[in-house]
Amino acid sequence: MTAILYHGEPNGPSLTVLAAAFEKQAPVELRRIDLAAGERHGGAVPCPFEVSLSIEGEGPVLVADGVAMADSVFVACYLDDAGGGPALRPADPYARWEMMAWCRQVIERAAPAAAFLGTQAHLAPRLAEMAEPAFAQLTGAIASIDLAERWKAVRAGDFPEAQVADSRAKIAQAVERVEARLAGGRKWLFGDFSIADLETYSWLAGMAALVPDGFAGAPRTREWLARVKARPSVARALALASVPAPQDAWAPGPEINRWG
Amino acid sequence: MSVALYHWEPNANSGKPMLALVEKGVAFESRYLDLLNFDQHKPEYLAVNPQGTIPAMVHDGRVLTESTAMMEYVDEAFDGPALMPAGAADRWRVRWWMKFMDQWLGPSFSMVGWSVFVGPSVRQRDPEELDAAIGRIPLPERRVAWRKAISGNFSEAEMAESKRRIALGIDLLERALGEREWLGSDVYSLADINGFNSGYALPLSQPGLANDALTPNIMRWLRAIYARPATRQTWAMGRTQMASRVSILESEPA
Repeated sequence: MTAILYHGEPNGPSLTVLAAAFEKQAPVELRRIDLAAGERHGGAVPCPFEVSLSIEGEGPVLVADGVAMADSVFVACYLDDAGGGPALRPADPYARWEMMAWCRQVIERAAPAAAFLGTQAHLAPRLAEMAEPAFAQLTGAIASIDLAERWKAVRAGDFPEAQVADSRAKIAQAVERVEARLAGGRKWLFGDFSIADLETYSWLAGMAALVPDGFAGAPRTREWLARVKARPSVARALALASVPAPQDAWAPGPEINRWG
Repeated sequence: MSVALYHWEPNANSGKPMLALVEKGVAFESRYLDLLNFDQHKPEYLAVNPQGTIPAMVHDGRVLTESTAMMEYVDEAFDGPALMPAGAADRWRVRWWMKFMDQWLGPSFSMVGWSVFVGPSVRQRDPEELDAAIGRIPLPERRVAWRKAISGNFSEAEMAESKRRIALGIDLLERALGEREWLGSDVYSLADINGFNSGYALPLSQPGLANDALTPNIMRWLRAIYARPATRQTWAMGRTQMASRVSILESEPA
């Protein structure tokens, strides 16, 4: 049975899932949607609550086995569990725990920061130009109240200085972790190429231009970014871009931890 | 083989690997840390987990943190009954629910829980001693959270948002449990262990939202988990009134 993947530009969570599907050579029919125009909520994409309330915010949706799935790391785990092709997670339970715990920290700390900075730089100007009725229609279709609030904050240019500084620090910390992890000549983050490489790359690739200081002292990370980018599955996903710089394509993502 | 688990009460994150280990039949050395005494930020524990978060597990000398990822490890590394379903889509749903609990609904439960339990318990301490204890917390965001909890300093808007999420979360749980016997799939799984640790006291803490009349499926589910020998054994390890709230599940369906 063919699955359908509704995906945005190859950046962030859409890039993770597209490249994972290509790694696994999964029979997936691709359908492009403009996440940055709110098209996931327009009615064409199946939107059960697991999709509309996804912690990830605006991400791709894979419909397979009659189930609409969101949250890129777990969709990539699904593709890994369901299909043949090379494994995308280590087989050893401890190595697999390391990889999943790593992804959890990316999801919780780096991803909200990247989405915050990315939407500030690249989506806010586009939304600010929208006419009010069109924007009201866009947010009115969003079932998640907190996700709709994030859209409104982007349009209003509501990016508090403290959160900007904290987000920049979180990106710098993520790069530090990658740099430390790659010490000793590691090619990929956890042995063979894995979901951790994909997820980390997908959130960080667009940050090099926005937080250049964070990448300045990280030569191993810069080489690793180039290595991931050249990986055939990633290159194939990037080639699907309909814009010249897909790493600048951002839509509201996971929320910044409410506890501070 | 040796397994040691550093944990607080059978509740929230600590209770997740406790219950998973007991369900798998894995004997472990319990190393109880008193969260309210800031045991988790003392040097001897920071030597195990520098982030100072609990729980942490040491299996044959290797340290594991992050309770949900730790549970998947427990399921994969040890013999015993499988705690993940076999189907790939079911496994996806189990992981979805665990993330939803960990990052969206659980923090709202704990914001309310801290304001009524942890904050008042800790506020009885000497303020200077408390300040010094908070200063030793390694993660800055945890320092902010502790200061908020201790001062009772959650804004009205924050509490209102937590309450909105709790009401919606309960509604979603009820819907999901109306569709299938267990939370993530048709078999008992890590999603149930995760969800129970956040929700076992719901009929006590949210009596107007979670009860036999309004949420019969949640009540059925909580009682079914509490009826499992592993759950009884795990909650018997609790030392505070927080864990003993589980006895609300001994009530008969109304």
